[in-house]
Amino acid sequence: MTLDELDLGQRAQVRAVTGRGSMSVRLLEMGFVPGVEVALVKRAPLGDPLELRLRGYHVSLRRAEARRVEISGVGA
Amino acid sequence: MTRPVRVAVAGNPNVGKTSLFNLLTGSRYKVGNYPGITVETREGSLRAAGATAAGAPAPVLVDLPGTYSLTPFAEDEAVAFRTLTGIRGERRPDAVLLVLDASNLARNLYLALQVFELGLPCVVALNMVDLARDAGVGVEPELLAAALGVPVVATVARTGEGLDELAACLGQLEPGAGTEPRLVEPGADQPALRGCLAELEAGAELRGARARWLLAAEAAGQLELCGASPVEREQLARLEPGAVADAIRELVELRYAEVDRLLAELPTAELPAAERGPSDRAGRSKLAGDDSRAPAMRRSAKIDAVLTHRVLGPLTFLLVMALIFQSIFSWADPIMGWIEAGVGALSGLVADVLGPGLFTDLLTEGVLAGVGNVVVFVPQIALLFLFIGLLEDSGYMARAAFIIDRLMARVGLNGKAFVPLLSGYACAIPAIMSTRTISSFKDRVVTILMIPYMSCSARLPVYTLLIGALFVANARVLGPFTSGGLILLSMYLLSTLSALALGAIYKRTLLVSPTPPLVLELPPYRLPRVRDTLRQVWDRTADFLRDAGTIILAVTIVLWGLLSFPRVDEAELGPGETAIEHSVAGRVGKALEPALEPIGQDWRMGIGLIGSFAAREVMVSTLGLVYGIENADEDDAPLREVIREAEAEDGSPRYTKLSGLALMVFFVYACQCMSTLAVVRRETRSWRWPAFMLVSMTVIAYLAALVVFQGGRLLGLG
Repeated sequence: MTLDELDLGQRAQVRAVTGRGSMSVRLLEMGFVPGVEVALVKRAPLGDPLELRLRGYHVSLRRAEARRVEISGVGA
Repeated sequence: MTRPVRVAVAGNPNVGKTSLFNLLTGSRYKVGNYPGITVETREGSLRAAGATAAGAPAPVLVDLPGTYSLTPFAEDEAVAFRTLTGIRGERRPDAVLLVLDASNLARNLYLALQVFELGLPCVVALNMVDLARDAGVGVEPELLAAALGVPVVATVARTGEGLDELAACLGQLEPGAGTEPRLVEPGADQPALRGCLAELEAGAELRGARARWLLAAEAAGQLELCGASPVEREQLARLEPGAVADAIRELVELRYAEVDRLLAELPTAELPAAERGPSDRAGRSKLAGDDSRAPAMRRSAKIDAVLTHRVLGPLTFLLVMALIFQSIFSWADPIMGWIEAGVGALSGLVADVLGPGLFTDLLTEGVLAGVGNVVVFVPQIALLFLFIGLLEDSGYMARAAFIIDRLMARVGLNGKAFVPLLSGYACAIPAIMSTRTISSFKDRVVTILMIPYMSCSARLPVYTLLIGALFVANARVLGPFTSGGLILLSMYLLSTLSALALGAIYKRTLLVSPTPPLVLELPPYRLPRVRDTLRQVWDRTADFLRDAGTIILAVTIVLWGLLSFPRVDEAELGPGETAIEHSVAGRVGKALEPALEPIGQDWRMGIGLIGSFAAREVMVSTLGLVYGIENADEDDAPLREVIREAEAEDGSPRYTKLSGLALMVFFVYACQCMSTLAVVRRETRSWRWPAFMLVSMTVIAYLAALVVFQGGRLLGLG
């Protein structure tokens, strides 16, 4: 399952960032490393991008970018 | 005398770095531009330098662009990287002042670990400790200092708390005192990283910290921004790409594991029981990275319940944008009026004192008019940067980008291009200057190229003159709509659609780059520190006056010369002739007539076009000169009359509805504004883009006017 499939308010653990290149490195460095808990806080009014919460801060990613983050252990 | 210690001020964006810098330097600094690109660094001496050893000069602080890591993804982060690592002939700083957000150490400490890899003495400013305490995540600076092994000073930029202590700490730094770089070493669990580092260190060039940074840059495809040497590139290119990707994953995980280890050792203020989520496990720190709650965002989340709400969010967005637009479109107007009146009064005074003559004309119509042409932009620039500064510092700008990103992504730009484009409807000059918030150079240039197509307020006098002269402006067409209103509306629609279409084309052809990824922090809302904002407004305005202003002044004088020389005696003029016809501009206008005819214009309009290169609205006063009507820019009714009644030699009307429409379409596209070109040169640091802008816009304008006029004729109109 990937990060863009989370429902509002759900949390999950990051399993891996897939793919290579600029975006993958940025996601890792912003804290999307395996084991980190991420929650989907909100979707933007037009449905995209997403507002996520991890490591004590909020970050916005487009769905296409969130799709690169594999997650597991989804819970409320 | 010993040289001053140079201290680079580094930190994540939104941690109050610039406020601290302003306080430490007493806002006395030089704005420096990095060669070749417009990324600013500020440099100033420590003001409270009482603690420095006797005779030693005060340390010099260099404020760097905010960055989340030492892997540069855009030009601003590249400047931070290059300054800190000191490559390519730049002097490395002697020490680093690292500003950390006390309420978000779980992410901020990642950059800290990379800064420790630099091998430079480091002082940490643990900023915004008040907010951290309020959020229940306060950390004792002594404990953090012990954990990190560097001095830590708790600060609050807003109240000045901790400033003296921080200044004292910086005063004790010595030049050239390097420390041992603290590197993360791969273990048995990081085979890819071990393999890559071993392979790199077998060569001569790349080792230690630099090997790790460039490995990340290689994985991110950003070696260009790092300024890596050919030898370094060659070595990195020999690594297997899959191994590099794995190595970076391991390296980042290793650093974050270290961050979590540090945080787990730090006792923090206890959270109230109600704040504990079900996932709280005994013995785990509230700060550790695997706890996904964000205490510092608690208050902001409540504000966001309105500001990024599904319905209220876009409404607020529209309201805020309308406010910005209104301010530069109409609030700036009276001030601009005073400036124009002031310049006019001054010109009158000069003319009275010196009496009529060539020198007086040069002073009043050349120099003073040129100064007026420059200063008149100041109100709009200052207002726009005031709003942008307040919105950025308060945290709203990130929300605005969050709301509008979906639409901007269609063009291939990110949400930060919205405010510059919107501002373009008022005036391209401040709008182009405001593109500095866009970090990728290519995306900035695309936005800069789009802005002059947005229908700016200087086009309005031209549209109203032509609509008033050639159309029955008040004729009702549809319900409350008049033909004048509808024509005006269609010009605005045409300009907007054209800007978006051309932006999408440029993005896919000339300046190909992927749609910028959106990894956008939504920082906690904060009250902006108004003094910092005003300082920035002043910096930007002064920069405009100094750099673009000189070009605008020079071109105004040249244009005055073109429209005034050679001079003729009024007595020698034939009936209906005006002096301007005999000027260089007049002759060029006449020479251009064969080219103007196909778009329905004559040489008189040609002179108007030359004059309006100073600014589009000057079209009106130049046409006034052509037809011998004074003060046409103040009351264009007599000029409208003349244009409406003007006859060609065969007795048919000289200007028709169709030729008027063609001219308006020409004005939608044409780059009739030297100030725009001057500012584009300033912002792109070359004449290449302004030259491209002038040529492409003129060609497009001509072709569009040609299609309108000739197409209209084929359809039997006009």
